[in-house]
Amino acid sequence: MERMFPPKKPSTMNSHDRPMCVQGDSGLVLTTDPKPRLRWTVELHERFVDAVTQLGGPDKATPKTIMRVMGVKGLTLYHLKSHLQKFRLGKQPHKEFNDHSIKDGMRASALELQRNTASSSAMIGRNMNEMQIEVQRRLHEQLEVQKHLQLRIEAQGKYMQSILEKAYQTLAGENMATAATNMKGMVPHQGIIDMGVMKEFGSPLNFSSFQDLDIFGGDQLDLQPNMEKPPLDGFMPINENLCLGKKRPNPYSGSGKSPLIWSDDLRLQDLGTASSCLGPQDDPFKGDQIQLAPASMDRGTEIDQISDMYDTKPSPYGDEKKFDASMKFERPSPRRTPLQAERMSPMISTGSMAQGRSSPFG
Amino acid sequence: MSITMNMDIYAINDLDFSEYTTTTSSDTHTSDDDHGCNWNHWSPIVNWDALTGDQNCFHGLIDSLMDDVATAGVNISPINHLDACNSPSIISEEITTTTDDITNSACKEEAAAGTTGDVDINGLKLIHLMMAAAEALSGENKSRELARVILVRLKELVSPTHGTNMERLAAYFTEALQGLLDGTGGAHNNKHYNYGSSGTHREDNHHRHQTEMVGAFQLLQEMSPYVKFSHFTSNQAIVEAVANERRVHIVDYDIMEGIQWASLLEAFASNKNGLPAPYLRITALSRTGTGRRSIATVQETGRRLTAFAASLGQPFSFHHCRLDSDETFRSSSLKLVRGEALVFNCMLHLPHLTYRAPNSIASFLNGAKSLKPKLITLAEEEVVPVISHEAGFVGRFMNSLNHYSALYDSLEAGFPMQNRARALVEKVFFGPRIASSVSQLYWMSEEDEERGSWVKWLGAAGFRGVPISSANQCQARLLLGLFNDGYGVKEFESNKLVLDWKSRPLLSVSVWTSSSESDS
Repeated sequence: MERMFPPKKPSTMNSHDRPMCVQGDSGLVLTTDPKPRLRWTVELHERFVDAVTQLGGPDKATPKTIMRVMGVKGLTLYHLKSHLQKFRLGKQPHKEFNDHSIKDGMRASALELQRNTASSSAMIGRNMNEMQIEVQRRLHEQLEVQKHLQLRIEAQGKYMQSILEKAYQTLAGENMATAATNMKGMVPHQGIIDMGVMKEFGSPLNFSSFQDLDIFGGDQLDLQPNMEKPPLDGFMPINENLCLGKKRPNPYSGSGKSPLIWSDDLRLQDLGTASSCLGPQDDPFKGDQIQLAPASMDRGTEIDQISDMYDTKPSPYGDEKKFDASMKFERPSPRRTPLQAERMSPMISTGSMAQGRSSPFG
Repeated sequence: MSITMNMDIYAINDLDFSEYTTTTSSDTHTSDDDHGCNWNHWSPIVNWDALTGDQNCFHGLIDSLMDDVATAGVNISPINHLDACNSPSIISEEITTTTDDITNSACKEEAAAGTTGDVDINGLKLIHLMMAAAEALSGENKSRELARVILVRLKELVSPTHGTNMERLAAYFTEALQGLLDGTGGAHNNKHYNYGSSGTHREDNHHRHQTEMVGAFQLLQEMSPYVKFSHFTSNQAIVEAVANERRVHIVDYDIMEGIQWASLLEAFASNKNGLPAPYLRITALSRTGTGRRSIATVQETGRRLTAFAASLGQPFSFHHCRLDSDETFRSSSLKLVRGEALVFNCMLHLPHLTYRAPNSIASFLNGAKSLKPKLITLAEEEVVPVISHEAGFVGRFMNSLNHYSALYDSLEAGFPMQNRARALVEKVFFGPRIASSVSQLYWMSEEDEERGSWVKWLGAAGFRGVPISSANQCQARLLLGLFNDGYGVKEFESNKLVLDWKSRPLLSVSVWTSSSESDS
């Protein structure tokens, strides 16, 4: 459907006429339309680009000068004007275009610009969409990972709990001879306290990533679900705050907004640290961590019983000072003593048992 | 004279102690800058420049420190030998002068640059003393007598439960060095376990120790991401690698209480891809030994894991496979079942694990070479050489000190006020670990040293790295988000994730396969 440009066409390129094509003609490929449309072949376009470059860039080059420099037979101002417009707009017109309706170059380029803008904003829109999809995909992946991570941490916590229980049982068994009845309840109780202390130290710390995404709500505190048991509430005001994350907003989200007061000598050390939200660890249970080594227990009169039991054993710690300081309970609960029995209630079971499950792993 | 000197030094120590705590607490969450001149990046050679940047008076301090080291090494000896009466008064005066210098400089420093100065000084002093002791124990100018004297001096300055990180750390390193000197140090040295307890009721102490150990382990896990990071990253890699397997067999080099597998069992049991959960078999390697190392402990772990799996409805069985008496692994002793996807899990030297001899580890990984498991997960310590030109024991010793000081710093940030809790973790895990680590470094063969990390070994042995998935990396980052600021995770060569503390690598998990197909 294409034919060679008829050589009879008036040529304005005589002066720079160069043989450009082995075919003995200009090599232009035109359609059969009455208004011959030009196919800008790669070769032809390259020549065009060369000419434009030679003329100092698309802004300086004009169709006329280009036509002269290119010196291709059959190429008209009309062709070049359109092509130059597109070229100026950064297009690489390898396909045919039809712009016979455009008379005014400026207007054409304005339109072209408009079209371009429209299309590029569409492109941006599409990209935004893709980005959103990507973001969503990632968020989704992160959510999935978070869910799994949460479950894994919980599983690990349960398992750890069973190890702790076993250890305390063994220790309890060891001491059966001396104080069979009390031991039974008491030893696991230590376990619980320990867990509580650990929780206070650690878990409520920077859960920011979870919090930010607001996925688990208060649940992120629930690394050790076992700690949430109601039996703890009465005698562990702290744990109530810390551990009942499910029921309350995280009291630490505001960082340091703990309702609890710092105790004594440790206050200065840690004010202003990122971990100041750990505040509560300083109260009643500050000292409890050392119950890991029961011999050093000295929690005051309330637990004389316990102390007595261990009095015979040497303390593995030389320094009791810090510990004593922390003995000042911020909220001495009058119920502490009466509740002791309950507190000691066999946390062998820990959460899972309390929740009516028979497996220690819940 | 000597009495005065000692008192001076104690006075300084007390001062440091009280001031240190305030300094640290304001440091922990903010920037690396402050930490930069703390223990974190100390290195007697590298850091002097940093220290002297805007604090020129450090030069003098360091000089006086050097004097002090020399003095401590050479001149103090007569005093400590209780021939103080015979010692020339000149020497004593010299010592006093040095001490005064330090005191004066420290005061100046305090005025000029806040309170960190003297803490650094004390830390540096300890480092230099330890380095001197390490030097005295090795190399060409070996002098056991000098080492002994330096260690006596060090022990006066440190306590494992009091003082700054460096002071507590130095206490354990001092003990480790003392172990070398006495010839009692060794990978199986258990004496630290009884630290501080009288030992009158042996059995009782054993159980107390067990309880303490478990409690410390729990604390460690809650306070720092080391253990969970290693376990979860490895487990996630395993979950991904065996996604389409019906039977999975994991051979665990060092199972301990089996805590790693709780989360894997959970992951298997809650797997929602429509397939039934794969059958999981775990074979734990067991060693002859007592306490936490005993076969009874491994069996106990097996029972616990079995019960846990049952509670999740996860098909599971447990076996153990005895290592030879020298802890070498023979692949022939492993019972394998056709059709099982084999996984080798090798968690090395996490803070709660016992130090393992290189030969034992090598035998296990060689076993992996012959059995061609589908996946090998490896966690190991990352020890960054700080003093590259310092060859031999001293260099290794300093690297190790550096490594543990970063661990101590990260732990301190996790237990900001819980001195006692931290001390428990340090006593139960780091003390023994440091002792065996130092001993290991002391007796290390050239071959061991050339081998470098086990990651390097696996690469050289022809194992292929398995890329760590984006989900796995995401998990690691989320996990670190649960702990205090300062931890980070970086990917290396696509199959290794490194946990770092303030950009200092602490430990890494890497994932490997021996299969040549590229579908994993």
